[in-house]
Amino acid sequence: MKKIILVADDSPSIRKFVSFALAMKGFEIISAADGMEALEKLPDKQISLVITDLNMPNLDGFELIKSMRSNDQFKDIPIIILSSLAGSDEIQKGMEIGANSYLIKPFDPKRIVYEVSKYLN
Amino acid sequence: MKQVSNMSDLFERLNDLKVVFRYGQKLIPIIQSIIDFMKETVPLLEDINTSIADSTNKIPKAKDQITNVTSATELATTEILDIADSISIDLDKIEKELKLLQENETKKKELWVKIKDLLKDNDGSGQLVEEYEQLDNSIAVMANFQKVFDKIKNDVYNITLSLQVQDITSQQLAAVNHLIESVRQRLSSLVMHLDETELSNMELVKIDSPDNSTFNPEAVYTKSQEKQDMADSLVNSNSSKASQDEIDKLFS
Repeated sequence: MKKIILVADDSPSIRKFVSFALAMKGFEIISAADGMEALEKLPDKQISLVITDLNMPNLDGFELIKSMRSNDQFKDIPIIILSSLAGSDEIQKGMEIGANSYLIKPFDPKRIVYEVSKYLN
Repeated sequence: MKQVSNMSDLFERLNDLKVVFRYGQKLIPIIQSIIDFMKETVPLLEDINTSIADSTNKIPKAKDQITNVTSATELATTEILDIADSISIDLDKIEKELKLLQENETKKKELWVKIKDLLKDNDGSGQLVEEYEQLDNSIAVMANFQKVFDKIKNDVYNITLSLQVQDITSQQLAAVNHLIESVRQRLSSLVMHLDETELSNMELVKIDSPDNSTFNPEAVYTKSQEKQDMADSLVNSNSSKASQDEIDKLFS
């Protein structure tokens, strides 16, 4: 059975790009345009991993991670931050609130495949 | 005597008045030149005011154009990614077929060695065998195909990699839009200060706050690994810190 990855990003091209990189490796991808939509989609399927942007409307990536980590159902799901924010403050904050990895845009698709495989294989 | 003193005071005052008038006469041309200057300047200021109001009203259009550019590049990028996705799927199919062909060819080669062995006693077969072997270059051709496939796959990969520039530029354009909106608000308040009556004639166009779009004004498209390396070192230091916490918990 294919493992399902939820990609939350307000940029359609980035969602497509991540899907492009991971679908080739046999993962099923579900997309969300912001943190709120991601939270709504999380219970729908057995999500194995979440890749999230930080700057998103309605509910940003930090809030999404906080919500997930405070929910027993989702607290153990690995989370990879994928953001153009490259400041040490954001990285520290992201890791402190519970992200597992932090990738900076523009990113190498091979790297995202590597990070996902690290948690799912 | 008192009357004489009063008259002398009166003359003195009249003299003072005469001096004032003399100065006044000297000042008249200066005041006139100030009035002339004001007459010339006021229309100029009105022009500037009108021009600022006009420019302020054009800003929403500029913002719309930038937003349209972002939408168009977003759409084009998604379309290119769809095509790249489709090419990759097709390449994978062809590659699988090619691998099957290569395996078959290898098996055929093994069989050919056996057939050749059987034919070696057959008179006249030697030349035919030689001709056949000269024509049979399929394995080499397939190896070349494989190289071409690898190159195409790599090219498709690099195209998709470069397309990330769209996400970065859209964030930069959103930052420019935000800046334009700030300038517009400043100009609007300036126009209001300069001439309120003018403003009533020239209704300033209001812009709806940009669609709750989010952006990082410092987003940069770069192929340098420097930022990712820095992030990795922070992530690694964070994970070692977490391990230390776990150790501490064990001893608490």
